[in-house]
Amino acid sequence: MESSYLIGAIIVASIATYTTRIIPFLLFRTREPSPLVKYIELNMPLMIMVILVFYALKDVTWEIYPYGIAEIIGVIVAIALHVKFKNALLSIFVATLVYMFFIQKIF
Amino acid sequence: MNFFAIFKLTIPVLMGYIPLGMAFGLLLSKLLIPWYYALFMSIFIFAGSGQFLALTLFASQATILEIGIATFLLNLRHTFYGLSMISTFKDFSWKKHYLIFGLTDETFALLKTSEVPQINREKVYLIITALNQCYWIIGSVVGAMLGNILPFNYEGIEFSLTALFVVLSIELYKKSRLHKPFFVALIIGLFGMFLFPPQKMLILSLCVAAFVLIVFKRSMESGK
Repeated sequence: MESSYLIGAIIVASIATYTTRIIPFLLFRTREPSPLVKYIELNMPLMIMVILVFYALKDVTWEIYPYGIAEIIGVIVAIALHVKFKNALLSIFVATLVYMFFIQKIF
Repeated sequence: MNFFAIFKLTIPVLMGYIPLGMAFGLLLSKLLIPWYYALFMSIFIFAGSGQFLALTLFASQATILEIGIATFLLNLRHTFYGLSMISTFKDFSWKKHYLIFGLTDETFALLKTSEVPQINREKVYLIITALNQCYWIIGSVVGAMLGNILPFNYEGIEFSLTALFVVLSIELYKKSRLHKPFFVALIIGLFGMFLFPPQKMLILSLCVAAFVLIVFKRSMESGK
């Protein structure tokens, strides 16, 4: 692949990514966000986070063996540990280990 | 907040970004692209799925215009993240441009849920973002250089990012005054995962979520 092609593509991809991230800041640079925007700002993050969980699971093949069992177990472990001990690092670490054990040793 | 406390916050991202970055670097080296392009991409683009997409487009010899449009559309979801950060970043100095640049899924998640005292918030946010980007850069360069000779079986370690989102959802749920958006998002996410094409699942689900949030504002706010 030619280096001019790669460098051009990287510059364009960089600008495209930054643009998506700065749009809202440009829109509300001068005017004060309306109550509606504040309402979105307050409540959208929770919805984004929940949807990101499903996004992270989007490539699981639920139809065929092992039916995403390891993923479901991992998520349940994370929820259970976090509700019980409220320690983010512990929940994430143990859930990941359990998941790795299942996909490497069992499925 | 001392450096170690900040570092501790970013460990889940470390566990996710190193292997994912390595997978990216490995793929890049399989396309016979020199390793330093992995470095450039991770420094100047810093978007996980965006960089994977770019590699696929390189492989199919897409034009630079196509690459720009596809990257823009894929990362459009980040607009929603910025929207939730407007008042947080409002009084920050020019350095906030780095925070905006570095607003990936995972950085957004950490910034939105970490509890940082107002006074040194800007500095802590900058360190979190920079640490996350370092993990991503290290992972992608190591992957590009020696991804195919490493003996360690780290298969499945990227699940730490899934677990991170699960944990942060619980945290935000506990903090949130309204609880209906949580259940609405559960339904949208579940349907989105099965019904939307994987490539567009995130942006479509987020648009539906924003639509429902706005149109049903009154019932969202009633009865908690």
